[in-house]
Amino acid sequence: MPSFVPYLVHTLFPPTVRLPDILLIDFGLICAGIGVIVLLTKTRRWGWLWNDWLTTVDHKKIAILYLIAALVMLMRGGIDALMLRAQLALPTTHFMPASQYDEVFTTHGTIMVFFMGMPFIFALFNAVVPLMIGARDVAFPRLNAMSYWLFAFGAILFNISFVIGGSPNAGWTAYPPYTGLAFNPGPGENYYFLALIIAGMGTTMTGINFLVTTLKMRAPGMSLMKMPMFVWSTMVTSALILFAFPPLTVALAMSLFDRLFGSHFFTLARGGMPMMYVNLFWLFGHPEVYILIIPLFGVFSEVVATFSKKMLFGYPVMVASIVAIMFLAYGTWVHHFFTMGAGPAVNAFFGLSTMLIAIPTGVKIFNWIFTMWGGRIQTTTAMLYQMAFIPVFMVGGATGILLAVVPADYQLHNSYFLVAHFHNVLIGGTLFGLLSGLYYWWPKMFGMKLNETQGKWAFWLFLIGFWVTFLPQYLLGLKGMTRRMYTYPLGFGWHDLNVISTFGAFIMGAAFVVLVYNIVWSLLYGERDLTGDPWDGRTLEWSLPSPVPEYNFPRIPVVHDRDAWWAMKQKGQSLADLRPEDVHDVEMPKNSPIPFLLGASFFVLGFGMTFAWWPIAIIGFVGIILCLLFSGFDYNDHHHLKADAIRQTEATLGRLQG
Amino acid sequence: MSESEQSITVDEAYEQDNDKSIKFLRPRFHAEAFPTVQIFGYVGSLVLTFAAYFLVMNHVLPVLALLIIILTLAALQAALQLGVFMHVQEGRGMAWQIIPLYLVFLIAFGMVGMSIWIMLFKSGVS
Ligand code: HEM
Ligand SMILES: [Cu+2]
Repeated sequence: MPSFVPYLVHTLFPPTVRLPDILLIDFGLICAGIGVIVLLTKTRRWGWLWNDWLTTVDHKKIAILYLIAALVMLMRGGIDALMLRAQLALPTTHFMPASQYDEVFTTHGTIMVFFMGMPFIFALFNAVVPLMIGARDVAFPRLNAMSYWLFAFGAILFNISFVIGGSPNAGWTAYPPYTGLAFNPGPGENYYFLALIIAGMGTTMTGINFLVTTLKMRAPGMSLMKMPMFVWSTMVTSALILFAFPPLTVALAMSLFDRLFGSHFFTLARGGMPMMYVNLFWLFGHPEVYILIIPLFGVFSEVVATFSKKMLFGYPVMVASIVAIMFLAYGTWVHHFFTMGAGPAVNAFFGLSTMLIAIPTGVKIFNWIFTMWGGRIQTTTAMLYQMAFIPVFMVGGATGILLAVVPADYQLHNSYFLVAHFHNVLIGGTLFGLLSGLYYWWPKMFGMKLNETQGKWAFWLFLIGFWVTFLPQYLLGLKGMTRRMYTYPLGFGWHDLNVISTFGAFIMGAAFVVLVYNIVWSLLYGERDLTGDPWDGRTLEWSLPSPVPEYNFPRIPVVHDRDAWWAMKQKGQSLADLRPEDVHDVEMPKNSPIPFLLGASFFVLGFGMTFAWWPIAIIGFVGIILCLLFSGFDYNDHHHLKADAIRQTEATLGRLQG
Repeated sequence: MSESEQSITVDEAYEQDNDKSIKFLRPRFHAEAFPTVQIFGYVGSLVLTFAAYFLVMNHVLPVLALLIIILTLAALQAALQLGVFMHVQEGRGMAWQIIPLYLVFLIAFGMVGMSIWIMLFKSGVS
């Protein structure tokens, strides 16, 4: 037995990953893994998996990949949340030790923001933005696949931490000096930094991709002011990503250098400046919370117009306010660390700039309400989420304003009041928006509707569960309960509210179960969408059959009006009357294994660096260089879809004349 | 994605739809030459990086001079990256690539400037 084996076992499986619950999960994961492999081999699906999914560059398939990842991560983050709430339900509970509690809240926050929210948003971008602007794919299809695989392997790297080596435990914000080696040995924080750097590169590339796509790939006639609101929100979000992620990447890389290479950017010793990390992190962090909400403003703008059967009220004002929010979002980050003590002038400035954001946000709320005003409202599940969002988000925004009042924030900062605030905006805004978009665009993505009755059950459970969980937390915050505490003594008067809150969390857990049931049931028995336009929609994606053929549009449409498809329908036009001579050969991007291999190489590099095993890291690095070189010289990256093949597809869909 | 039929030359495309007021953005697609510029650009960017690193690590200059010099190096580096690797000079139709550049100046200077203001901890008593 070579002597490095005990070392290996001790490093990969320290006592923190040998808790009974984790061992049980290990067992489950291994069984599931073997099951999947056996299933794929038995049904001979490996080739299908590789050719149709792992190497795809089709934005519609990448959307589905993002969606699957996001739902799996929603489950993981949700289970973490239930564990946290179970621990806090009663005073002095020790169902988890303090160290594990820290790991679970860190994992919960990081996963929900970076590995659930972001990919879910990108799933919606990929699923519909090219269709809405009348394009055949995004501007850089292969880069798009690279973004996905960087995200996916970053997520995998983050997720294996709890079974191999130990999870990060410094919160989703990972403030130094606690993340420094002096206080936090072990691989946990390395996992965090590397996973986020890798996934963050993918995100930055997505930002560039969709910025270019929305700027350059619009169908003829679709001027900026004729773009659907969701496309506007995509553009603004991409711009936010482009400028918000660099500070994060820099801060993470510097922290990693402190841990791996002995630098002193953020250490306490040798002139390091931990507070600079806080500044850099929130320089990213505040734009990030807007990255997580603006796309959903876009979703709600589409949903409300479609289901009120009216044009969006005040479109130019909506555009102006979304652009204003983009600029303001860059100028408020200090409100996350008023208590750091940069001084009254700084705090006053940033307190005011934060409050300013409420103005354009309020404008948007009014416009959604005016869109519904006098409309013929159809209470579909997507619309229910929209209608619930308005009051929930208003409460979230109002408590945000309270937090922006500097003297009040000195009291409320890092209390459960803050926790309730951001869940109010993140669940009531982001999650409700994501689910609204999911129900709305599901038929376009999969060719069948999600069952509405089941969907409404899930909706009501989510809504009720949300309020039951988070209203008590506002009160707990006012009663002095601080965030990130793993237990609390009897006699503070906190336990009754905590019991209620935990009860609410389990209602939301039930809602998630219903959601999954709804999805599975609908995939099996759901009502097919034969028209391609099940909601009587307004924008171009509804002019296509569901699911959309590979090339999207056999002929690129010409746009004359804002709600282009609605206008066409009013004029009795359709895109289903194609003449055979209008169909030409189409140039399409070709599948490529490079994005997947690039992601895998980054994973190897990340894993090697996490444990400072340099030979492994170097193997990963060489892999990256090879992938990039190969990709750079690969000119054979597209193919021509023959006009005949397209005519045939369109004919079977009944969309060809003659 | 273009339809493979009507293929026009780059010059025709330029004549058709380029914004004539920004002549320097004349498109240069498919120039199949040896990438001399890129190689010089690559070496140049490395030189600029290591120069800054050397100056900081070896404390050869007084602080103010050092700051001025590394900021100059940074500006050169940015110009080099934009010009050589990021293809600011290429494009067809409206010069969309210029607008984000204005944003860069606005946001980057805003961020850096305000960060300095915050991190000096000098706004009144703290
Ligand atoms: C009018 C709108 C909003 C205002 C005025 C506002 C204000 C604030 C303030 C002042 C804080 C810091 C409180 C403290 O740490 O003591 C905060 C924290 C937070 N906000 Fe908001 N906010 C708004 C909207 C949003 C939105 C839309 C999101 C996300 C979708 C969001 C997500 C968060 C998060 C995640 C935190 C806590 C971060 C942490 O410390 O872990 N906020 N908000
Ligand atoms: Cu903020």
